[in-house]
Amino acid sequence: MTDDGAATAVEAGAAAGIVSCRELSRRFGEGDAAVDALRGVTLAFPKGQLTAIVGPSGSGKSTLMHLLAGLDRPTGGQAWIDGVEVTALDDKGLTALRREKLGFIFQFFNLVPVLDAAENVELPLKIAGRDVDPAWRDRLLATVGLTNRTTHRPAELSGGEQQRVSVARALITRPAVVFADEPTGNLDSKSGTGILELLRTSVDEFGQTVVIVTHDPKVAAVADRVIVLADGRVAADRRVSGEDDVIALMRDL
Amino acid sequence: MAALALRELASRKLRAALTALAIMLGVAMVAGTFMLKASVDKAFDDIFAEASAGIDVTVKPASAFDAGIDLPESGATLPQSLVGKIAGVDGVAKAAGAIGDSTSIAILDSNGDRIGPPGGGSPQIAASVEPEPFSPFTWVEGSAPSSPSEVGIDSITAGEEGWHVGQEVTISGVRGVKHYTLSGIGRFGSGVPLGGASFALFTLPEAQAITGKVGELDNIDVEAADGVTPDELAARLNRVLPKDAEAKTGAEDAAQQSVDIKEGFGFLTTFLLVFAGISVFVGAFLIFNTFSITVAQRTREFGMLRTLGVSSRQVLATVIVEALILGIIASLLGIVAGLGFVELVTGAFKAMGFELPQSGIVIDGGAIVVPLIVGVVATLGSAVVPAIRATRVTPLEALRDEGRTAEAPTRRRVWTARVLIAAGIAALAAGLFATASFGSALPLLGLGLIFLFIGIAMLAGTLVRPLASLVGRPIERVRGVTGRLARENTLRNASRTATTSAALMIGVALVVFAAVFAASATKSVGDALDETFAGDLIIASTDGSSPISPDVARQVAGVDGIGAVSPLTGAPAEVELATTKLELVDGLDTATLTKVAKIDWVEGDDATLTGLGSDQAIVESQWADDNDVAVGDRITLKTVTGEEVPVTVEGSIRDRVQLLVSSLALPIETVRQRFDARQDFAALVGFAPGADPAAVRGRVDRLLARRFPQVEARDQQQFEQQQEDLINQLLALIYVLLALSVLVSLFGVVNTLVLSIYERTREIGMLRAIGASKSQIRRMIRYESLITAMIGALIGAVVGLAIAIAAVEALEDEGLVLGVPILGIIVVLIAAAIAGVIAGAWPARRAAKIEVMEALQYE
Repeated sequence: MTDDGAATAVEAGAAAGIVSCRELSRRFGEGDAAVDALRGVTLAFPKGQLTAIVGPSGSGKSTLMHLLAGLDRPTGGQAWIDGVEVTALDDKGLTALRREKLGFIFQFFNLVPVLDAAENVELPLKIAGRDVDPAWRDRLLATVGLTNRTTHRPAELSGGEQQRVSVARALITRPAVVFADEPTGNLDSKSGTGILELLRTSVDEFGQTVVIVTHDPKVAAVADRVIVLADGRVAADRRVSGEDDVIALMRDL
Repeated sequence: MAALALRELASRKLRAALTALAIMLGVAMVAGTFMLKASVDKAFDDIFAEASAGIDVTVKPASAFDAGIDLPESGATLPQSLVGKIAGVDGVAKAAGAIGDSTSIAILDSNGDRIGPPGGGSPQIAASVEPEPFSPFTWVEGSAPSSPSEVGIDSITAGEEGWHVGQEVTISGVRGVKHYTLSGIGRFGSGVPLGGASFALFTLPEAQAITGKVGELDNIDVEAADGVTPDELAARLNRVLPKDAEAKTGAEDAAQQSVDIKEGFGFLTTFLLVFAGISVFVGAFLIFNTFSITVAQRTREFGMLRTLGVSSRQVLATVIVEALILGIIASLLGIVAGLGFVELVTGAFKAMGFELPQSGIVIDGGAIVVPLIVGVVATLGSAVVPAIRATRVTPLEALRDEGRTAEAPTRRRVWTARVLIAAGIAALAAGLFATASFGSALPLLGLGLIFLFIGIAMLAGTLVRPLASLVGRPIERVRGVTGRLARENTLRNASRTATTSAALMIGVALVVFAAVFAASATKSVGDALDETFAGDLIIASTDGSSPISPDVARQVAGVDGIGAVSPLTGAPAEVELATTKLELVDGLDTATLTKVAKIDWVEGDDATLTGLGSDQAIVESQWADDNDVAVGDRITLKTVTGEEVPVTVEGSIRDRVQLLVSSLALPIETVRQRFDARQDFAALVGFAPGADPAAVRGRVDRLLARRFPQVEARDQQQFEQQQEDLINQLLALIYVLLALSVLVSLFGVVNTLVLSIYERTREIGMLRAIGASKSQIRRMIRYESLITAMIGALIGAVVGLAIAIAAVEALEDEGLVLGVPILGIIVVLIAAAIAGVIAGAWPARRAAKIEVMEALQYE
């Protein structure tokens, strides 16, 4: 779990990470009404780490994730995922990128209500027209603890179970990186803890790279590294140990 | 709350526009029908008023009854000697005899074809030039014909054909083709359009000759002396006229003729209103569905309003006011669009060879008030149930996150549906089997169909799953996950899919019904011909419906190699039975018919026919059963001129499709002489034994081309083909009108898709996030549309087929046998599938525009 290189990732430069960005900025609106949500952020996320991007609302943390994942276009700067320049892709390229290199976990689960749990997990492969590796699927379902609920539809699952399905769905393609947007925001604390443990497991067991966006210090506490954004800039970037450490970090700013 | 309703409409402009469009089309059809009726009525009023402008009193053959449009025109005339008698009556300033005959001539173009549109349903009238002040014509070029070799043509026809004074014009009359010199071009009245009719004007003797009425007149026009009113003069004349002649004032006669022809066009109004009603009904489905969906989507909003203290009545009011505003706006637009419908119908009729006379479109109060009421009532009526559902929203529901999920059909709903279906079937059965006439059956059939369709739509929810599987599985096999998602999406809210597809079901059911019914009619004629016709050729007019001159049969009989020619004619007559009934009395050529037809005798044999006396009749067995007529009975027939003809029934034949005999038949001479049948319907021809069929056929064709170009000889197969073409032409018009209601139902598919995509914004964004391409999203929506359309089409095809089978069964007595156009039904299903894909195209593009971001942010 400990990786001394991680602490020096920023110094190692953008090219070192599986996900990286350089001088990313995003301005909304024009003229007097213009708002700078992100003001030149340069970061690198090494492979196999769990990183939490935290900050108060309006800090630019969501904007940063949208730009890294190719969901929005920057007004300046570049971003790369696994050697591909995300900020240079068109819609087709982005679709291919999402199929091959990205996994998403949403606050509102966003499962397809008409498909059962197993089908939801397999959906990204089906959409991409790729074959399902049954062993991998079963291992993921076992990992998220849903081996016995595979034929249930989302409406028949609890919120925590639904989010477990979406974790498995995000991992099924073995993506370069999984972005999780407030993954526990819609869950009770017990279920939320379960999801965080799952994400931790995915990093530790499968070597998955995970980026979580959250405002919750408890969530950030499971991360290897916490990046604090404030006012569109990186205000802090370091390894943490435990929730208190994160709270202290956030309070200092 | 009215303000809120307005806001709601304004904020969902797209949905409002799509919904309005659905009502608009139906309303446009209603409004257009009324406009068309008013326009055609006015045009006829103008034509007849101008025709009789200079006539104080007109004398015509008396008619004992009104034969209507279904029966051949009476050929009764007045003797020329009557003119002198009338001229001698006190108060008559001037009297002149005239010919005005719309069934005897064909005006030909340089190729020898009848002028006007092919299929030619517009009359060509042979008229004599009348002296002033009677003539409605003003000679704008040249002068009136003054010799038997001259003809005058009305200015509209001359203009359309590009004819000039001095050129040759060929006209075929009862004696065959004759060439004339065009002496003048005359404007009818003030130049009112004649609705496609053409006038050929001759000197009186030539008019009599070309119509076969030498020494006879169609009418005698009279000018009153100064100080004598037309009414007074008509009364005076009627005191001295023989029983078979009758005097009327010119104004009265014009009004009478106009009323007659307008009644004739009344069927058109009914016909069009039936289709307008279908479109309104389909539109109502769409409105119901749209309001149901939006009320469900606005559950939270209504709940929130309730927490603010809004009463359930006020919630009801917002929905109702929204429907009211929508209904009024859509209806007003529909009335404007009615002008387009008038153009569509006029164009369709023109394509079929009928020109509807119009001197400008008349928009009367009825064309505004009726469609407005229909549109508003349909909209409000359809929105009531969803509006009541909105009132059931409790304040608590404002707090829930998700919109209300679909409710499973309750037992009550299922039972209501079953009761409606049963009632619909009962009404249909009553309409089909238990009514005497089409007029009395129509309301029952309409009501039955409405009940049946609503009932099936309510039950369709349970059919959605199996049908979606039937249609969706093959797509899934080929297209994988997008097909699977599309199929599951149609099942997400089965009752919504059911209502959406039910709208299309109605259109498809009616299309299939019409197709099956038409195929059955075609097959019936074919089967009957196979059984009955034993000759080689059938001679009839080119258009298939106009009468032909008796001279045709006479001249064909003289062709080398002909064995027998048997003309068929008929005339209207009143038959005195338990009640007095108006019937077509057929005239059969007793000497020749058995040589060209196999008669299916119930009582009697071929000798009965060959020996049939002038006061003897044979009856059609079904008609005889229906009217309690038996062989040996003595029946009195009354001709249109009031003459009573007693006949004895000598035999009975089975002829269900009424090829030869529709009710009763007399020897052809009796029908010609005593019932004034001047023209034949057709003639059956048999070749002489041993003659070379191709050579004889060639000689007959050449004779007809030279002498009677408007008449054609067809062998049995060609005749059947022509009958089929006629039926298909009508079918095409029905398809055009049904297409409008199908269009409405496709708007319904678009609307439902747009609304459900709106509900699924976040989900679609997520699909994009996990790697779905834009084209996969588009494909998913298009398949969803395709599956919805096919569910409607499949149920519709089954329902349409079932109704058609029932209808054919009901008309079995009329000789109808079932013919199922399997290829045609497959084409309809494929068309529905294509329509479904097209309807899905635009919603699919909208769905593909949804950004991944919306999966993260959208609430």
